[in-house]
Amino acid sequence: MYKYALRRLLLAIPVLLLSSLIVFGLMRVMPGDALTALMAESGNVGERELQKLRAELGLQRPYHEQYLVWLWQMIRLDPGYSIFTNEPIAVALKKAIPVTVELAVLAMILGLAIAIPVGVLSATRQDTASDYVGRVVAVSGLSLPDFWLGTLVITFAAIWFRWMPPIGYASLWDAPWKNLQQFLLPAAVLGYRLSAATMRMTRSTVLEVLREDYVRTAWAKGLGGRLVVYKHALKNALIPVITIVGGQLGTLLAGTVIVETIFALPGMGRLTVEAILFRDYPVVQTNVMLVAGTLVTLNLLVDLTYAWLDPRIHYR
Amino acid sequence: MATHDFLAHPLRHHVNRRQFLTRVGWGGLGATTFVLARGRRVSAQPASPYPDWIPPSPKPPKRGGTLTRASAWDPPVLDPRLTNSVGLFQIASLVSNRLLRYPFADEAANTTDLTLKGDLAESWEGNSDSRMWTFKLRKGVKWHNVAPVNGREFVAADAKYCYEAYAKEGVQAFTFGEIEGMETPDKHTLRVHLKSPNTMFPQNLAEAVTVIFPREVLEEDGDLKKRMVGTGPFILKEHTRKVRAVLARNPDYFDKGRPYVDEYTILSTPDAATRTAAFRTGQSDFHWVASLSDVETILKTTPTAVVEEFKFLQTPFGLALAQDRPPFNDLRVRRAISMAIDRQKQVDTVYEGHGILGWGIPYIYFQDTKPTAAQLGPWWQYRPADAKKLLTEAGHGNGFETTLFYYEYFPQMTSQVQLVQQDLKKNLNINVKITKLDYTTYYGRYAEGKWDGMAWGFKTGYAVSLDEQTYQYMHSKSTKNYFRFADPVVDELVTKLRQTPDRAEQRTITKKIFEREHDQVLRMWMPYDPGFLIWHPYLRNIGALAIRRSDGYGSSTLARLWIDK
Repeated sequence: MYKYALRRLLLAIPVLLLSSLIVFGLMRVMPGDALTALMAESGNVGERELQKLRAELGLQRPYHEQYLVWLWQMIRLDPGYSIFTNEPIAVALKKAIPVTVELAVLAMILGLAIAIPVGVLSATRQDTASDYVGRVVAVSGLSLPDFWLGTLVITFAAIWFRWMPPIGYASLWDAPWKNLQQFLLPAAVLGYRLSAATMRMTRSTVLEVLREDYVRTAWAKGLGGRLVVYKHALKNALIPVITIVGGQLGTLLAGTVIVETIFALPGMGRLTVEAILFRDYPVVQTNVMLVAGTLVTLNLLVDLTYAWLDPRIHYR
Repeated sequence: MATHDFLAHPLRHHVNRRQFLTRVGWGGLGATTFVLARGRRVSAQPASPYPDWIPPSPKPPKRGGTLTRASAWDPPVLDPRLTNSVGLFQIASLVSNRLLRYPFADEAANTTDLTLKGDLAESWEGNSDSRMWTFKLRKGVKWHNVAPVNGREFVAADAKYCYEAYAKEGVQAFTFGEIEGMETPDKHTLRVHLKSPNTMFPQNLAEAVTVIFPREVLEEDGDLKKRMVGTGPFILKEHTRKVRAVLARNPDYFDKGRPYVDEYTILSTPDAATRTAAFRTGQSDFHWVASLSDVETILKTTPTAVVEEFKFLQTPFGLALAQDRPPFNDLRVRRAISMAIDRQKQVDTVYEGHGILGWGIPYIYFQDTKPTAAQLGPWWQYRPADAKKLLTEAGHGNGFETTLFYYEYFPQMTSQVQLVQQDLKKNLNINVKITKLDYTTYYGRYAEGKWDGMAWGFKTGYAVSLDEQTYQYMHSKSTKNYFRFADPVVDELVTKLRQTPDRAEQRTITKKIFEREHDQVLRMWMPYDPGFLIWHPYLRNIGALAIRRSDGYGSSTLARLWIDK
């Protein structure tokens, strides 16, 4: 297994390099640059001043030079400074990552807490009222967009309860109660969305596994219903679910810009989107590489989990 | 054949193609009539039941309390040399001062009162040809008691240094580039020599974006991106990007006893629905609202809220044409396009009957009342038949293809762009291909000024002064002439305006500029609604003033706000 993991890590290097080239290239293809964005609404910047400022920011250096400088910075784990705000990117990430991680973890916990039991219930009571309710909940979760659900939740909470999560992010360590109030609704909105796909997958895989011979054997041995479902069926049904959850977690960690925007949370999503809009090349590139690295790691972890879930799987 | 299949279908057999088309036609006509009737009905109502001026409170002010606002804007950077973003100046206007300013809500005679007041300057005067301006500065003004200035005295050399830095690089370079030289005969006198006469130069120093910053910060940091220090009523206690800015009362502020509130917190809240919810739940004390129906919706849940309508003085957006090349260099084409656009329909539908038809220069600079539709001139009336005739005369009887790019500053803009597209197709057979861009791409392309076809153009949002609204936006040599026109008559008029000290004569010249602009269709202004300011009833002296929103570029007026709780 160690060899397998090592091989996968080595294979990640060309993936990351390719990602770096793509993101670097795409950012340069986009029209405008950070200075254009910065000077917006002013109009009184002469071309000469702009050229001078661009030179100071290194935006006029040849592309290959810019790429190599940035790559070297990434290798040294020193992503440099935002050309827009002059803030060290590491500092910006240090502020955004905890927000995103907390949101992702809470959403995932809420999502799984809904998806797994409802999915199992739906499968074990196929075509009954509870199955239909579960399926309706799942289809709704897939159909209702985040921006709609988030806006609805915040608006109706304000109108009916005269309450909304406090604005102005507070960290979990500094103000835990305020922090939990701030994260509960966005995590619920995200968790509901996530639970839909997971629930549908859980239902279909549990249904499939329940028809397997070994499950029939377990029933024949006289084992209790819960034991059969939760110990024998569910564990084996979880492989595709874990694959989905791994992908979802990766997406969440990349940032959920819509939910972050609605609930005014300063996470990775807002950081990245703002950087894209303002053509803050180093920030976008660093964030994308971080996401790429996270996805590669998560995929590896998901693959390694398979062996734990199903002892028949071996890594060579 | 498709028609055959359609008719053969048992469920649809009773509706043939002709019947179907007839029904669609009547249905469409009915829907259009409904929309138009609804629109006209709305437009027939009074424009707004809310006042555009709320006089200052007669009660004695109370000290203390915390003011909070959920804000759409986040400052891109803290350096006023690098951006004119409202996100920055909602903070900088309270942390810093300018040499001069416009009246605050508690001292203005009315909403359009633009009498210049001293801010860091106590008095000012120009010489006979308005090329030299002398500013006597207020004595005993201290910088904030924070590093690196630590409460030292503000002196004339500070203003000189700051203006030199503005002239050297950045977004203020055009405004301050007209300074030939400066002297400081003593600690509290600044003498400014201009390259050419400008009777309105003091107005430019009252713009929200000309804040005075300390030299020490620029010299120590190399830029002003990390710290904001000033002489203003509030000290920037905390600024966490995308979270909040906290402004604490400056106990050493030169205007003794002010500001009244202890703290002002600006919460970064990019989503409009969240800002509304914040207002409803009391997390935000005041709030900008885009439309009349939004105001009414909020009042249903928050009936005690006070609403003020922003006074209609101007519109910042319009159709910009590449008029340095065909076909838009032909005046007949511009006039035809302008006459083919039904602006009233935009006001009635997009702005719910609450909006103006559109003009660029704030009307208070040339007349007392809002321009009527007739005063906008013949080319601004909706006359599609005449438009078609004129376009045919210009050799484009069959219409032509063109492009239009825009950035959606607010949702109504997309509807406006689409209505213009429909009008031009329907009335002139001009096919407009619309491209919606992100802000940076839009701004880069628009400001570069090398685009073809059309753009949904703008002029900057902060400008109050007449000089900024005329010479700086309209002279062919100005870098702020975004609408890309070069009209020798306008050049002459805006230059003459700068040289004219007499207010009455200034109004006459400004009227001529307005008329010339409209006659030549140099900037094709489009309808606009500046919206409303809504606040909880315990706030006093918060009212916005003409061209100065108290939540934006005019936020310096919050130094006079107090909380009546």
